[in-house]
Amino acid sequence: MSQRKRESNANELSRRGFLKGAGLGAGAVATGVMTPAETLLAAEKKDEIRGPGELAVTLRVNGRRHRLQVEPRVTLLDALRDRLGVTGPKKVCDHGECGACTVLLDGRPVYACMNLAADVAARNLPVETVENLGTPEHLNTLQQEWVRQDASQCGFCTSGFIMAATALLRDTPHPSPEQVREQLSGNLCRCGTYPKIFAAVEAAARRGPGSA
Amino acid sequence: MLKKKVRATGGIIIPPLNGQPQKIADAETIEVPVPAGEPPLWDVYTRPQVVGQPIPRIDGPIKVTGRARYTYDQLPAGLLHAVLVRSAHPHARLLSVDIAPAQKMPGVRAVIRLDSPDLMRASAASAAGNPEQAAAIRQAASHSQKSKTMLFVGDEIAAVAADTLEQAEDAARAIRIEYESLPFVTDVAAARQPDAPRVHAGQDNIRPLPSPHGPDGDRGDVHEGLAQADAVIETRYETNVAMQNALEPHGSVAWWDAPNHLTVWASTQGIFGFRGDLAHFFQMPASQVRVITDYLGGGFGAKFGAGIYGIAAAWLARETRAPVKLMLDRKAENLAVGNRPSSHQQLRLGAKKDGTLTAIEVVNFGTPGIGHGAGAGAASRRFYLCPNVSQRDHDVATNLGPAAAFRAPGWPQGAFALEQAMDELADKLQLDPLELRQKNYWDKPFKALRIQYEIGAARFGWRRRAQIAASNRNSGPVKRGLGMATSCWPTFGRPPAQARVVVHSDGAVEVTVGCQDIGGGMRMIAAQVTAEEFGLRPHQVRVHIGDTQPGIYGPASGGSVTTTSVAPAIRAAAYDARQKLLAAIAPRLGAAPESLRLRGGKLLGAPRALSFASACRLLRHATISAEADRAQNYEPHLTEMHGAQFAEVEVDTETGRIRVVKITAVHDCGRSMNRLLVESQVNGGIIMGLSYALLEGRVVDHPTGHVMNSNLDFYKLAGTREIPELDVVILDAIDPRGNNLDVKGIGEPVIVPTAAAIGNAVAHALGGLHIRELPMTPDRVLNALAAVRA
Ligand code: FES
Ligand code: FES
Repeated sequence: MSQRKRESNANELSRRGFLKGAGLGAGAVATGVMTPAETLLAAEKKDEIRGPGELAVTLRVNGRRHRLQVEPRVTLLDALRDRLGVTGPKKVCDHGECGACTVLLDGRPVYACMNLAADVAARNLPVETVENLGTPEHLNTLQQEWVRQDASQCGFCTSGFIMAATALLRDTPHPSPEQVREQLSGNLCRCGTYPKIFAAVEAAARRGPGSA
Repeated sequence: MLKKKVRATGGIIIPPLNGQPQKIADAETIEVPVPAGEPPLWDVYTRPQVVGQPIPRIDGPIKVTGRARYTYDQLPAGLLHAVLVRSAHPHARLLSVDIAPAQKMPGVRAVIRLDSPDLMRASAASAAGNPEQAAAIRQAASHSQKSKTMLFVGDEIAAVAADTLEQAEDAARAIRIEYESLPFVTDVAAARQPDAPRVHAGQDNIRPLPSPHGPDGDRGDVHEGLAQADAVIETRYETNVAMQNALEPHGSVAWWDAPNHLTVWASTQGIFGFRGDLAHFFQMPASQVRVITDYLGGGFGAKFGAGIYGIAAAWLARETRAPVKLMLDRKAENLAVGNRPSSHQQLRLGAKKDGTLTAIEVVNFGTPGIGHGAGAGAASRRFYLCPNVSQRDHDVATNLGPAAAFRAPGWPQGAFALEQAMDELADKLQLDPLELRQKNYWDKPFKALRIQYEIGAARFGWRRRAQIAASNRNSGPVKRGLGMATSCWPTFGRPPAQARVVVHSDGAVEVTVGCQDIGGGMRMIAAQVTAEEFGLRPHQVRVHIGDTQPGIYGPASGGSVTTTSVAPAIRAAAYDARQKLLAAIAPRLGAAPESLRLRGGKLLGAPRALSFASACRLLRHATISAEADRAQNYEPHLTEMHGAQFAEVEVDTETGRIRVVKITAVHDCGRSMNRLLVESQVNGGIIMGLSYALLEGRVVDHPTGHVMNSNLDFYKLAGTREIPELDVVILDAIDPRGNNLDVKGIGEPVIVPTAAAIGNAVAHALGGLHIRELPMTPDRVLNALAAVRA
């Protein structure tokens, strides 16, 4: 539980009809992901109101820049899926409860449904989704192990799990079984593939660095 | 149909375990009446090359790269987004529904009312006609005062389609609805009172369900059975309503690609049923509706028909002449589209001193909300050889969302009660619980359960039981317990199901089936079964699945029938295509077709060996095509699938927390098609059962009739931290009386015993104290302990 909360906190001021400041005037924010408190502070400092109409923003997704028009309330998840056609991240709960939408925001796993596209764009944070890893013809090590262990049944949770596991392996190339469970505790799988997910992550870790 | 008698040997294949080689037990040769046209029978000695091998599924790579396009991921050009408007009251008449404000909102393309039965009919009747006439009928109907009564919070009222999802949501909020609130009841006990508000006008809230009679149904006389017993126990168990929560919600993307042709991507377990519902609603030929389910994000029994959401999407698409996506949100998933009903079961069991059962009686009341079918399954009737059995099930209507089939409908509830009652009986008779079950074992041909009990007990270390009970007496607050339970699920697979196999002159092999892959791996199984006949690897076979367009029929995925119904049709078609291929190319090789063999990607038996592709080139420009129908099961009565699960738990008597440490599970599904896939299903069933046992339960605020946890935050699903060590053993129970692959299903039997096994383990840890309600939350454990102390 605590893990889920932590991951979802990249912006708890999300889901509003309009944004107050929140660093939309670029420059105000450094590269890191802000805590809610920081976001709040930034909002108070620059009482600039944007929206509720559409804004022109630029999202950095998988190494490419995309210009798009979004209302400030549009989540990063909906922007990726509906506007950019990046449908690897899945929409399941839309409320930061399941992890199916997990993407890496500046390298850190976050729930894309709990971040606002305009905010991410304003902070110029790079977004990485499952589409940026291996391709079906050239899977990376983690993906190979995922397939080998049969760690996807319906597969609807898979993108989110793989991104959470990717963040773990980049950060901790040789995680303990407990660390694997901890890092993936913000993701749910209704088909119950967890044991094979653990096995895939552990097998990928054994095969060494560069696995993700 | 012409049948010939074929001799075949059945038996139980035990995989290599603990360094022991593979073994065959209980082998028996019988004569099987096989219909003409079936491929050669397989039996317990057959060693297929591809079928049964643990080969990773062919669609793994597309799933792990995020490229698999589910219904939710479809983005046709010009797509509109739709949302539903739902009742905020548990029981109400609609005085007015004003959609005008919504129609004027930015981006809104269409608003439709779903609350008027007349309107639905008018639209259906006019759907195929000209649009002006349709509009006139709808106009007239929208002034009609008749409106369906809202029966639960979440009942559908209207639908909106707009350019963006946000605009659709805004518009939905702008619809003005006046309700006249009616008396309602959501609490099961209250609904059973004679003066309770009626959920369905003019109908009793309590509805007895029919009881089947016969060898697998109610039988004998329980009163007599109880009179003959040396020991009788009387007990009760309750289970809560559980929500499906497949990760991909219900929904569809619909568009009319021609005025009289509808194409729909649907998140469904039954493409043909979904098609039928739409064709019926729009009064058009079913062949003019195409339903596609390429990838499905989970389905556990609640995704069969098109539902109001499916009809609304197609209807909005017609109104707007644009593709419309309507996917439910998580709240709606938990309110309106199906759940596992509750149960409140009273049981009486009687047995002789030696443990022989003389009577099983179950009286059950469960709520299916406004739906139906709250029976507790047939554990009482199917698990044990007991001459006197009676189970009386009753639906208790409440103002809550309807029940739906949910992975082994009724059986986990029934097993939770029966299997704990068995342990209570064993306690009373001072018998080992496993021995009590073995004593009442019901022998049937090619049944694996006796061996499953033995293997499970040995691997799990069932013998530690007495010693653990002894050490619990001197241990700290954390007590350890071992428990087990039986599983069983009938063999429902049968016709109709079809398959088509096409071989191209470039060596490409394609197989088309009309079912869908709900996650169990049917796509892979189709590839394996086809590859087997051609001596290829599964990755060389192209599989077409989840599309009604080719007109190849497949069943809905429910009752663990998909593989059992469809795979034998695939083998028959592939075998036929192979025979045709060999007959076509043999003359060109100057060989007799019977002398040719396909193996390891090669054609053998000709003057020179050829690769499969070169052999196919001999077809020149022609292709080979064969279609087959699933034959009837060779014998009508087949033995069920069985299993035994053993659970080890720790119970903290100070916090009430239960931790499942380990589960050993031994199951069979006839011949397993792919051990990796079967293991995944077993894991999944156990974990879903564990989740049901410890975490899941709908919470309703009875004064308001609202569900308090219609989300994934307060409706708990098992996550990474709850997963115990799992030890899974799959036996192949080869029963040659069924079909040409000896295959049975696995999706459902694996969830049946888990909660019961955990319950028994908890009771063992607590010195025989059973937690009588699901989920077994810490507060319930503490309350039960406090009640004993008091
Ligand atoms: S969809 Fe984002 S956490 Fe569930
Ligand atoms: S594989 Fe289906 S939800 Fe995880």
